[in-house]
Amino acid sequence: MNTRKIILSLLFILIFTSGMVMSTERLPKPEKFVLDNGLTVYFYRNPELPLVSFRMLIPGAGTAFEPEGYDGLASLTAELLQKGTKTMSAEEIAEALDFLGARFGISDAEEYATVYGECLSEHLPRLLQIASDCLMAPAFKAEEYQKELARKKDSLKAIKDNPGSALRQYFRKAYFGQHPFGHLSTGTDSSLERMSLEEIKKFYAARYRPDVAILAVVGEVEKSKLQEMLKTTLGKWPKPGSPAPSTTIPPLPAPKGKKLLFVDKPDATQCYFALGAPGYPVGDKISALASVMNTLWGGRFTSWLNTELRIKRGLTYGASSSFQSWKNGGLFMASSYTKNDKIGEMLDITFDLLKKAREQGFSAEETESARNYILGQFPQRLETNGAKANAYLQVIYYGLGFDYFDRYLNEINTVKPEALKGVAKRLLPEKDFVLVVVGKGSEALKLLEKYGPFEVKKITDPGF
Amino acid sequence: MPRKTGLSIFLIFIFILAITTMSEGAFKKEDIKVFKLDNGLKVILYEDHKIPNISYYTFFKVGSRNERPGLTGVSHFIEHMMFNGTQKFGPGEFDRIMEFYGGANNAYTGDDFTAYTDWFPSQALEKMVELEADRMQGLLFDPKVLESERGVVASERRMSVENNNEAILDENVRATAIMAHPYHWDVIGWMSDILSWRREEVIQYYRTYYAPNNAILVVVGDFETARLMELIKKYYSPIPAQTPPPPVTTTEPPQLGRKEVVIKKEAQTPSFMVVYHGPKCTDQDFFALSLLEKPLLQGESSRLYRRLVREEQLAINVYGGIEEKIDPFLFSIYVKPRAGADLERIEKIVDEELNKIIEQGITEQEYQKALNIIRSDFYFGLQTNSGKANLIGAMEVLTGNYENLFHTIDRYSSVKREEIPAVAKKYFHELNKTVGKLIPQGGK
Repeated sequence: MNTRKIILSLLFILIFTSGMVMSTERLPKPEKFVLDNGLTVYFYRNPELPLVSFRMLIPGAGTAFEPEGYDGLASLTAELLQKGTKTMSAEEIAEALDFLGARFGISDAEEYATVYGECLSEHLPRLLQIASDCLMAPAFKAEEYQKELARKKDSLKAIKDNPGSALRQYFRKAYFGQHPFGHLSTGTDSSLERMSLEEIKKFYAARYRPDVAILAVVGEVEKSKLQEMLKTTLGKWPKPGSPAPSTTIPPLPAPKGKKLLFVDKPDATQCYFALGAPGYPVGDKISALASVMNTLWGGRFTSWLNTELRIKRGLTYGASSSFQSWKNGGLFMASSYTKNDKIGEMLDITFDLLKKAREQGFSAEETESARNYILGQFPQRLETNGAKANAYLQVIYYGLGFDYFDRYLNEINTVKPEALKGVAKRLLPEKDFVLVVVGKGSEALKLLEKYGPFEVKKITDPGF
Repeated sequence: MPRKTGLSIFLIFIFILAITTMSEGAFKKEDIKVFKLDNGLKVILYEDHKIPNISYYTFFKVGSRNERPGLTGVSHFIEHMMFNGTQKFGPGEFDRIMEFYGGANNAYTGDDFTAYTDWFPSQALEKMVELEADRMQGLLFDPKVLESERGVVASERRMSVENNNEAILDENVRATAIMAHPYHWDVIGWMSDILSWRREEVIQYYRTYYAPNNAILVVVGDFETARLMELIKKYYSPIPAQTPPPPVTTTEPPQLGRKEVVIKKEAQTPSFMVVYHGPKCTDQDFFALSLLEKPLLQGESSRLYRRLVREEQLAINVYGGIEEKIDPFLFSIYVKPRAGADLERIEKIVDEELNKIIEQGITEQEYQKALNIIRSDFYFGLQTNSGKANLIGAMEVLTGNYENLFHTIDRYSSVKREEIPAVAKKYFHELNKTVGKLIPQGGK
């Protein structure tokens, strides 16, 4: 390694970045209007291409609000909304959407459901008609329900053929347990047995409502034209007389001590692991510091984790960590995979790196690099119409303010290396965590003994 | 094959939909500037100042198509080694410097070309030009680093092929359908080759194909053309041209009868696919097949989705189509069957639906739908600097002229609906067909 040249180039960067101008308004401020039924709309016109994107967020219609034991209900509801209305069959909806070359979908997250649509500008009136028909007047036909349920059961089986997908489900159950965030969007064997169309209809009636929903539209369309279109489409979605149901979610669980789970998949050629611990809520004061710290520890290609596991040792194709945040809490997760006989080495290195970050923190040069990286990559995150629409919804739903990204990036720009050790101490797990490993037990289990007794499940056992 | 994302190219069709006339929008042929250095490097530039960032894409005309037995997978391996050190910047420095300057990057290798993709804030431009020019000629291939990276690629193969039933089947079907042409093997290469490439062979391959006269540089974003050209000349001009690589001369002989691959493996659900030999991407038939694939199998309203997933409930999903390739490749139909589904019945239904197209063609509504999909996908592909850079570069490599990007809609529109049955008949027949089945162990 040629050290002299590196130092020279670092000096150059220090000079060049101090001259960087912090532009303001990363997210252009949208116009806001409210429809008669209470649906709030945010709009920003972008005439560059003949395209329009919209996103809608429906608070309270996500997996966390499924009745206990009904994993997959929010997802089935979202799917069935696209499978027939009072006036259109499932085939007609699919045909109409495909004909436009439009993209449209309804999906579930933990806290909310989202509606996604984008198309050529000339097709927006038709796409909004279809979208509002799906949301306002679903048919919930028994036949469609049976098909979707069968499909869901099949997908559930296919998940267990893929150790990476299986890991995500096992981890969610292990980490969140009985907390509503433990609900699996994929469903479970028992929840899909218990599922009923009546429960889905009840969930829809209580949770899908215009007065709590937020809509963001970005692209090439005139505001007055958009307003006209909305008046005859989503504006007709009746506001229910009843007050909106609670969207309160209990505090997220925090693991006490080690929780260790091994899932035995005898034909797996690799072992996959996920390690989780509490993170922080959206908009928390620690966000900027945590982003810089995570960028360095496991958030980018040259992070400590990927450097040690992939670049230096070739143990894996990729290793990373991330923070995921919700309204009242968050999750830190690190994950990777390697050959079955290397999983012990991989975990040893991972825990060593956690310890190193907590004890030694990060250097000034590293901090500078992470700041540049986050600032330099940010503009692309809001480049498309869809990304902007999505950012509006996040800003509104979490109450962040439209200048949130400017404030966040200004904070990033002032992060000092001294502060990172404290953040690592607070957020990187030491004794309290959940660790899930999926792999071939006959090769891997003996390598994991030193971490303590693992609960062992067979991949063929029902559930996760 | 991407270097960093976990996506599997075996399953993801990167349909580079390059496909419409550009009467609307701000992206015009006239605003694209093209230069050629004395050493043969072709440079294609498009200024766009909407965000203070630049997408810097380098395309090398090399992929698994240029490999031979013993060296399969080496194009993709060199893609990995491109990040592992030159005489000027030691192993890992490329990424470290790139990220220090606020940039990020990735790369992918396909059958026909290899692309290096950088995104960074405009202030970092000169450093990025320097880094990219440097690794076009100065790779070290440090023996220790080479061995470590060999392990990474072996791990990538285990993850993306051996732990993935669809990918295993896909690899087997491709190798069965294509007998002689180098498209016979997948981009990742055979495991025994991965484990035994010799350093000298790898270096020789790099010298031959990573030459300025075998490369195209596409830059889109927030820069000034004159200033960027100065930088490009400064850093790239000293790189010498190389003897042009040998042409790929093997032509796949016609298939003489139906082939079938059956794989028995531990799995909860079976897998199923059918492929037919198809034309290369510049052939007029390519456009007809690319049109008809939309009503046939794209989206929930497509004929095969309706029959297999909705009506007969034999499958979870259907996808596929024709891929853009320099030489003739395959038209693929992937079906993800439900557990226990009758695979012979699935094959029969696929045959029936193809025969309907041979006999009756597609409807006017289906034809319009295909053109709408093509147009809308095209604009979505142009939303970002990176999207523009990728389309320009891929078009240049695959068809020999990036300007085709702006004309291809004419080629699509020039396919008459009435011509589709004849094209379907030419390709979708029993002698041209290979069927693949993965049957869960125990046989269902």
